[in-house]
Amino acid sequence: MYLKFLGASLIIFAAYTYGYSISSLYRNRVSQLKELLLGLEMFLAEVNYGLTPLPQAFMHIGHKLKEPVGKLFSDAAALMQKSRGLSARECWKKALKNNSGALEFSRDGMELMDRLGLVWGKGDKSGQLRQIALIQELLRQALREAQNEYQKNDKMWKYLGLLGGLTLVIFLL
Amino acid sequence: MPNTAYNIKKQICPLLAPKVRFIIENLPDELLAKTEEIRLRHSRPLIIFWAGGESYLGEKGPVPTPREAYMASGEDLEKTLELLSSYSLYAYEEELRQGYLTIPGGHRVGLAGRAVVEGGRIKVLRDISSLNFRVARQVKGVGEKVLAFIFDRRMGRIMHSLIISPPQGGKTTLLRDLARLISEGAGILGQAGKKVGIVDERSEIAGCYQGVPQLDVGFRTDVLDACPKAEGIMLMLRSLSPQVIITDEIGRGEDVKAIEEAIHAGVSVIASAHGSSLEEICQRPIMGGLLQKNYFERLIFLSNNRGPGTLEMIIEGERGLPLYSSRHGGE
Repeated sequence: MYLKFLGASLIIFAAYTYGYSISSLYRNRVSQLKELLLGLEMFLAEVNYGLTPLPQAFMHIGHKLKEPVGKLFSDAAALMQKSRGLSARECWKKALKNNSGALEFSRDGMELMDRLGLVWGKGDKSGQLRQIALIQELLRQALREAQNEYQKNDKMWKYLGLLGGLTLVIFLL
Repeated sequence: MPNTAYNIKKQICPLLAPKVRFIIENLPDELLAKTEEIRLRHSRPLIIFWAGGESYLGEKGPVPTPREAYMASGEDLEKTLELLSSYSLYAYEEELRQGYLTIPGGHRVGLAGRAVVEGGRIKVLRDISSLNFRVARQVKGVGEKVLAFIFDRRMGRIMHSLIISPPQGGKTTLLRDLARLISEGAGILGQAGKKVGIVDERSEIAGCYQGVPQLDVGFRTDVLDACPKAEGIMLMLRSLSPQVIITDEIGRGEDVKAIEEAIHAGVSVIASAHGSSLEEICQRPIMGGLLQKNYFERLIFLSNNRGPGTLEMIIEGERGLPLYSSRHGGE
């Protein structure tokens, strides 16, 4: 009896964890997009008030943001400082690839990240500020969508995991 | 000068697009040592200039004809510009407006492209199509001979001096070395050095990168980098208490006023101006006016007759007496 009870609890726990892990994908996506937007806000301030060069600005932002978004900026900065003749776009792309495992962006989100790579350091100050502001707007839209998805899917996946586990237990018993 | 080859490889090459970098890095040291300019032009041959000649560069080194040379692509130029500006063109707006950047090592990169004009002034250069890397070289010791003529031993002061030469005549090199010698207190001064202030409007004298002099201008020297001369001289006088102010290429009315101000404040001024003879420079309205006032106690003429920086003549400002002439071989 004890063993059955233990087995049943394990199944329910595992199923709930599975559901929870899927729902956390949506949660992470939201928090990462918020973090990225914060990073862009910091970048605008670095450009606007300090005219800080891109590698240093990325380094500052990387230190202040949470992982993995912070690491994305730090990695890109490190690649730029190695001066191997890579363009800003190539450094950003490489950093994105290195951190792709931890980043939970949707396909649209990833496209926006790619587009950011085209924008970094391009144009004069006003041009750079305008381009970043545009990407910010698109990211805000992506954040709203991610928040909606999170609200829709968070509870569903948690319940689905729990109920799936219960169903399996009932079926097995 | 094997040092120049090393400097090009360490300081300039990392800022070149990979293909161009590869070509330059693999050039023989003897060629790099005499290189003065590396020129990248969109869809045109890669060329290096050296004193008295030029070489077309192919992918495997110098080639005899321009047709065989490596043609710099738009991507090469774009990437080089990105590397030059540390990926941050927005941080170099003023430099892009002026048409040059200074890079670590004090080397200067001239730019040409499409000028965006606003209110009759260049707002920014866009679509950069030419890059000219001018290799900085410091020739230490060129100022020693001149220093002996401009140092007043009795009063222990440096005399107000104007260096005159045609372009590429070695004015800036001489100013830089004089700054170093005066600042450090060279043997001839027979005393501790003096506080020197350099107003370096075009970042040529000290070759500052992010405000830090890349060339040796002495340890008692303050540099106001990229600062308009007139404003810079006044700022120096107000806050940095220099004993000697050094600046280059004076010629505007406001420069002259600021120089007068400095002279009246008891600060020695060493400046330079374009020109090949006293008559020529006297004909320029502003410079002529300044010279008539006899502020400058020494006029130093350079030329590139026997290489850049040939000392032609030093004359005493007030009475026009020659103190040194290369034709007579000395004092």
